[in-house]
Amino acid sequence: MIDQQLAELSNLLIIVTIVLYVLALIGFGADLSGVTQRRSDEKLEKQKRESEGARAELATVGASAGTAAAAGGGPGGSTDAGTTPTRTATAGKASASRGSAGAATSGNALGARGFGYVMASIGAVLHITAMVLRGVATWRVPWGNMYEFSMTSSALIVALFVIISIRRKDLRLLGTLVMLPVLVLMLIAQTAWILPASDLTPSLQNSHWLIVHIGVAIIATALSGLGAIVAALQLLSTRTQKVRAAREAADRPLGRFWGPVSALTERIPGPEALEALCFRLHSLAFVCWTFTLIFGAVWANEAWGRYWNWDPKEVWTFVIWVVYACYLHARATRGFRGNKAAWFALAGFACVIINYTVVNLVINGLHSYSGLG
Amino acid sequence: MTQEDRRARKAQRRAQSREAKGEDAKPPRSERARRARDEQKDQMGTASTRDRRVAPEARDLRQAGKSGKAGASLPKLGVRGTLLFLWRQLTSMQTALFLLLLLAIAAVPGSLYPQRNVDASKTEQYISEHGSWAKFLDTLGFFDVFSSVWFSAIYLLLFVSLVGCVIPRLGVHLRQIRSRPPRTPSRLRRFAGFTRVELPGGDVEAVAARAAKTLKRSRYRTDVLEEKGGARSVTSERGYLRETGNLLFHVALLGVLVGVAAGGLFQYRGQITVVEGEGFSNSLAEYDSFEQGAWYDSSKLPSFRFTLDDFRAEYDTSSNEHRFGQPKKFEADVTVDDPDKSGEYSKTLRVNQPLHVQGTTMYLLGNGYAPEVTVKDPDGNVVAEGPIITIPSGDTGYTSQLVIKAPDAQPKQMAVVGFFLPTGVIDEKGPHSEFPGLVNPQLALTVYNGDLGLDDGVPKNAYQVDVSSLTPVADSDGNQSLVSLTPGESQTLADGSSISFDGVKRYAAFDIKRDPFQVFTLVMALSAVLGLVLSLFVPRRRVWVRAVPSAHGVVLEVAGLARSDDDRLVEDVRALAERLADSASTAADPSPSDDTSADSPSSDSPRPAPQTPETDSSQSKPSHEGPLQ
Repeated sequence: MIDQQLAELSNLLIIVTIVLYVLALIGFGADLSGVTQRRSDEKLEKQKRESEGARAELATVGASAGTAAAAGGGPGGSTDAGTTPTRTATAGKASASRGSAGAATSGNALGARGFGYVMASIGAVLHITAMVLRGVATWRVPWGNMYEFSMTSSALIVALFVIISIRRKDLRLLGTLVMLPVLVLMLIAQTAWILPASDLTPSLQNSHWLIVHIGVAIIATALSGLGAIVAALQLLSTRTQKVRAAREAADRPLGRFWGPVSALTERIPGPEALEALCFRLHSLAFVCWTFTLIFGAVWANEAWGRYWNWDPKEVWTFVIWVVYACYLHARATRGFRGNKAAWFALAGFACVIINYTVVNLVINGLHSYSGLG
Repeated sequence: MTQEDRRARKAQRRAQSREAKGEDAKPPRSERARRARDEQKDQMGTASTRDRRVAPEARDLRQAGKSGKAGASLPKLGVRGTLLFLWRQLTSMQTALFLLLLLAIAAVPGSLYPQRNVDASKTEQYISEHGSWAKFLDTLGFFDVFSSVWFSAIYLLLFVSLVGCVIPRLGVHLRQIRSRPPRTPSRLRRFAGFTRVELPGGDVEAVAARAAKTLKRSRYRTDVLEEKGGARSVTSERGYLRETGNLLFHVALLGVLVGVAAGGLFQYRGQITVVEGEGFSNSLAEYDSFEQGAWYDSSKLPSFRFTLDDFRAEYDTSSNEHRFGQPKKFEADVTVDDPDKSGEYSKTLRVNQPLHVQGTTMYLLGNGYAPEVTVKDPDGNVVAEGPIITIPSGDTGYTSQLVIKAPDAQPKQMAVVGFFLPTGVIDEKGPHSEFPGLVNPQLALTVYNGDLGLDDGVPKNAYQVDVSSLTPVADSDGNQSLVSLTPGESQTLADGSSISFDGVKRYAAFDIKRDPFQVFTLVMALSAVLGLVLSLFVPRRRVWVRAVPSAHGVVLEVAGLARSDDDRLVEDVRALAERLADSASTAADPSPSDDTSADSPSSDSPRPAPQTPETDSSQSKPSHEGPLQ
């Protein structure tokens, strides 16, 4: 029944995929740190330009004063740059060499993002091939146990990311945020949940609902995951704006944490656009979760003769559904719109994770399909 | 429930207060215009509308106070006012949100503690293991969460809140569906995607008519209005399905609740156990257990019969520790005798393939072994014979518990207690089975004598026996004898009684169920999804076109208003403007020869390009900027 060679090839491809994803993560990570680096370089560049303007001004006032200040300022001036024209003049000089270095790294960083994207794309293709092979080897859909569910969901998430960012190249910046959780999930699945390819347990056999119910659940999980990333970015972006406004008002620098974060959030769409995207992803996710519940109920009715029996899995899917309903309602409720609603979205995803890990592995119910006795 | 709710409810309130004041059902035109303005402002939903949101409520309460017995002063609401206030609170969005969240939280203990409705024996075991803390939890209903007072209270309040929200909105929506779109706002410049185009030599009437036609074709509800100064405007709205869908979703959820409740009242469900080769005829006496809804008439039990011809099970023999012994296949061949259909027919039941017969459904849910055992008492009389149903103890190897009660045995009643082992191993861990298939079937039994306590009329579980009051049969050395048998063997004990192991059969356990409302519930659930999709993905928007006569022809203005998440509005409005300008220019100069005679210098240019306002703020945020700034 089971084609062991195909199954082994599938396992091998998964390993290769993980390696490629790690490379993609390195690429995206380098790009992300490059972005923050570029930002500070740009800042210095800007200061340099300002200082040149200032210097020109100074030149008209008196050249001797300007050169004296430039000589005396020293490289330390860059920390509180921008306060006086004379100080920035030195900073400008000091950054001149770094500016060229920055240009070089920015070229590399673009390459890093491209590299990450190519690795992720190749990885996604191999990943999907691996899942298809697993399906062919077992002659069934590749989501019969927890390992397969994880691998198929993560393939879907990466594929969605790669496809969406074919046209929206600005989203490739977020590669790290997609690849990191996906890799964590895949590594857990690869080490703790892995099972050899095998036939389905009888309760999963002979039913089209395995394809429909679990298929929709996989899409719902993937959408919830992407939605949670967007919701988190939305919250981060809003917070950064506030911090930046407050720091600018107080005339304080952004600091080690908020500086890079601010550089990141400046490059992605603003909180309003993220909010709209978050809502659209969660609308789709909510519809998918509703279908998951209904198809699950229909299947339960076919298999166990009860469409709803408050099995732990059912309880938690219900909880997920209600929490996402909370999100949709919160968006329309005065005082909750925007960021407070986004917290509901994150809470919903926390429930998705609980439903997937705690309920599968700790709580024993009728939905015990992890295959890990 | 969305933003439209509150709007709708507010409109309702406004209507109520108007009626209370004895105002004309059809307010004067100025009033209508003012309301249209108000409504538009509401949609902008920004800070300055917040105080307005509070205002109607306060007005209403004052009104309630007046009409109530308490008198006119504001703080005293009176009975009716208080009730009204509580009702408003209950049906408010915040309350609904709070109740939803509470519902999610309240459901969680239902997955953490063993629930009686899922497996009562596990619940009792948990309570006995955890002592007084578990008893305390039990009194709070933590083992019957989904029928507990608090859980029921939450969802009932939620549904009351839902009804209180949906019914007024239904009225408002029905009225809106029948009414014409609201008047065109006087200054379109403030709205999304505002585009102004000068059409040389155009005709106001024709432009308006064309706009109305185009909008109608795009399924907008349109209305052409005459305005002062010879201007015409087209007002249009689409996306009523959004609110329809929203209402459908919520009403369908109520329908699901009704379907579940009605199903609970009219359904029945029972468990049966059938050994291979044996039959079952559908009557109450044949059921191991039977539950019925309060309004189910058990005399209407359909009369069908079936025989279990064969039961097949297959188990994984691969070397992987997780897979070894896992079931691969369960199949039950049955021959059904259905009086509605002529003759018998055969069918194979599997886990996901139940049998539908006479409106009921039969599910294959369990299986086990029924070893054939013959028990003789010391006098040599057969006191028990045939396949004995054993209960799997839950391990992978199907180690099954066996109990035989022989009340007719002489001189004392007998009980045989022990295990059936499909692949038996008896070692220091005691008798157990290592594989669920029949590789080395064994019986490991102990025989007891004494009073089985069956005569005092208290019903006893057939699969359990209390051996504490019984005496084990000892061998000649005085030790308790352990009977160990393989098929075909028999053993005689020291007291002369004997047990023989004649063979092994399998049995299958089925659930038989009828729920006349399950199709209704499914239809309701699917309607809810349909409503949900409509309410999430149909954009509701208004689009206006105004044609004003000018010195050189017509000035065309187009703008729109998003009444929901609508990222394509600006794009669509601009496209409409371009289209109208295009068709106007082709209509305005039918032949190139006309060009020279016309005094307008611009008619030489190929076609007027749409211009957008210089401050292009409306482009990035279509719906939330404009009138309030």
